[in-house]
Amino acid sequence: MTRVLLAGFGGLGGGQDHQRAMYLPAFQAHPGFTVVGAVGADDLGVPSYPDLATALADDPAEVVSVCLPPDQRATAIVTALRAGRHVLADKPLALTAEEAAAAAAAAAESGTVCMPAHHQRFAPAVRSARAAVAAGRVGLPWNVQADFLVAGGDPCPLGELTNLGLYPIDVVAALVGQPVRRVHARASGDVTLLLLDHDRGLTSTISVGRISGTADLRPGGLAVHRYRISGSNGVMNVDATKPGATLRTSTGVRSAWTGPDTVALMLTELHAAITGGRPAEVGPADALAAIRVVEAARRSLEAGRPVPLSPDSQEGRQ
Amino acid sequence: MEHHSASVGVLVVGVGFIAEQHTAAIHADPRARLVGIVDLDAGRAAAAARANGGVPWSTDLAEALARPEVDAVVVCTPNHTHAPIAVAVAEAGRHLLIEKPLATDVAGARRIAAAFADAGRVLMPAHTHRCYDYARAVKEGLGDLGRPEFLRLAILGGWIWPDWRAWVLDPARSGGHALHNGVHLLDLVTWWTGDRPETVYARGRKQTAAELDIYDYLEMTVGFAGGATALCEMSRGHRPATYAARDVLVVGEHGVLTLPWDAEASIVTDESGTGLLPPAGANGFAVQLGAWLDAIGGAEPLMTPGDGVLAVAMGVAAERSIATGEPVRVDDVLTEAGV
Ligand SMILES: NC(=O)c1ccc[n+]([C@@H]2O[C@H](COP(=O)([O-])OP(=O)(O)OC[C@H]3O[C@@H](n4cnc5c(N)ncnc54)[C@H](O)[C@@H]3O)[C@@H](O)[C@H]2O)c1
Repeated sequence: MTRVLLAGFGGLGGGQDHQRAMYLPAFQAHPGFTVVGAVGADDLGVPSYPDLATALADDPAEVVSVCLPPDQRATAIVTALRAGRHVLADKPLALTAEEAAAAAAAAAESGTVCMPAHHQRFAPAVRSARAAVAAGRVGLPWNVQADFLVAGGDPCPLGELTNLGLYPIDVVAALVGQPVRRVHARASGDVTLLLLDHDRGLTSTISVGRISGTADLRPGGLAVHRYRISGSNGVMNVDATKPGATLRTSTGVRSAWTGPDTVALMLTELHAAITGGRPAEVGPADALAAIRVVEAARRSLEAGRPVPLSPDSQEGRQ
Repeated sequence: MEHHSASVGVLVVGVGFIAEQHTAAIHADPRARLVGIVDLDAGRAAAAARANGGVPWSTDLAEALARPEVDAVVVCTPNHTHAPIAVAVAEAGRHLLIEKPLATDVAGARRIAAAFADAGRVLMPAHTHRCYDYARAVKEGLGDLGRPEFLRLAILGGWIWPDWRAWVLDPARSGGHALHNGVHLLDLVTWWTGDRPETVYARGRKQTAAELDIYDYLEMTVGFAGGATALCEMSRGHRPATYAARDVLVVGEHGVLTLPWDAEASIVTDESGTGLLPPAGANGFAVQLGAWLDAIGGAEPLMTPGDGVLAVAMGVAAERSIATGEPVRVDDVLTEAGV
């Protein structure tokens, strides 16, 4: 059994606690993991530690699940990696590209697994699409259109671009594997539109945001989550809200997910990477790439025009 | 064929691919009757006249316009010919339903609009999509959604055009794809939002062949004055060539409308694969003709000359944005064309 230390029970504010809501139950349900300690909670029936340093000195866990408030997160990740531990990092793994780069460097040095919790790329429809695209099923992809629209729930104080935006940016990256060079963003009400220019002339467009709640979804449920990949030899329309059954009763309509849990699939990959001694399928470089796109999007929103991915580079004007 | 003295006598100019839709609509509407055909190509004009009950035909527009039974004209000629033909129709004092785009540049579109304002005749640009059931349903749905925030409209298909010699592939004659087909989408999202388009940011792609002079795939992002954003995709570059899909998504302050590619058609799997079988629906060209006849009768027009001019300006802005890689202000395009 791989032993897990839960570090931090914060989220992006607004009462968010991904540790308790998402990772703890998933670790408990997974046959390969056991939770052996916690930093910042004493009601879990496992030893509680006042801070990460004390826990790392004392605790025998191989994995640290880092869910500290975002301003402490990157430092904690680097500390855990330097102590030779594997890390599961709540997303965003860091608030800035600089911090994410530091985490990536620490992971490279430690040789341990550092996985950002980009669990949407583990959505079953995305996984099969990714494999099919990589196998050439639609030829050479030249465009991706994506919608990631969450209905209702608590708005994130840091903004939904940081909170929700990372997911579809990461999925698009996983689907096509071409780095982003230029970003144009436009905000309209609850939705932000990201227009990305990648290598190989590939373009992608992502709408992302938290829209009005709808009667058929629990608050925070995904109203629209889909990807259209156009390639030289075909088109793939991927509805990531599938697989699902539709349940109609006298009190309403709802969709009943019939697929595996994305967080469980992510932990399976984490476990396989740790026991296999290999990097995980999603790592700090992916977090860094997504955060850089978010940062560029913010610059574009301010400038009202497209910007290169890196502030000083000329690549945006190719 | 029954002839009502009260019916509108319609001359059709340009009898190529799309004209049949218009003649069929004319035959189906008791308020109109076809009274003549004009095409530069005598063979085509004669064949169309024969196929339409032996109506008179000509290769000379002026001669046809001089005939007293011609009350109104439907123009279905290549895009670059629209401005001179439309101005001639206005000067002859006839009403006009003209295929999109109104013209291939803003100056031409303005010239047409001014000529009809002077003549006091009805000018309607054929933004046919406004007349399709789906577009009307979305317009209605917007009532429940409240202020629109984000709209997606995609009309995707494969290559349906002829070879290199086709006028559609020549930007000088078609205006480029943003003018040729783009205006359908640019006009529709503007009608849906009821808002003023401020900026267009567009990306284009020569997907079928790098040697194309037009972008067979277009992605046009329109920013509206009220803050809404509309993303319009128009493609003739998808593969397989048989691909045909339309997609609509509208996010409003009170919810979301989705009309995905598989929501309207039946899905058929046969020996050649899986495809869509669109349901029998209302004929958009008949609805459009009806709206034009209504306007000639004095009703509020479904599409105004101003709509036609604006759509052209948005198309020009899209083509320019592709060339520069920057968002283009619609007002700049309108201003530099003069008044
Ligand atoms: N509303 C729609 O959905 C839709 C669809 C297709 C085409 N269109 C529009 O319809 C128009 C015609 O397109 P098409 O595909 O039928 O073209 P086409 O090339 O098939 O036909 C054009 C016809 O016009 C004739 N012509 C050319 N110049 C002329 C002139 N100066 N005077 C008289 N006749 C002339 C040609 O000989 C030809 O017969 C275009 O403006 C196009 O943008 C609209």
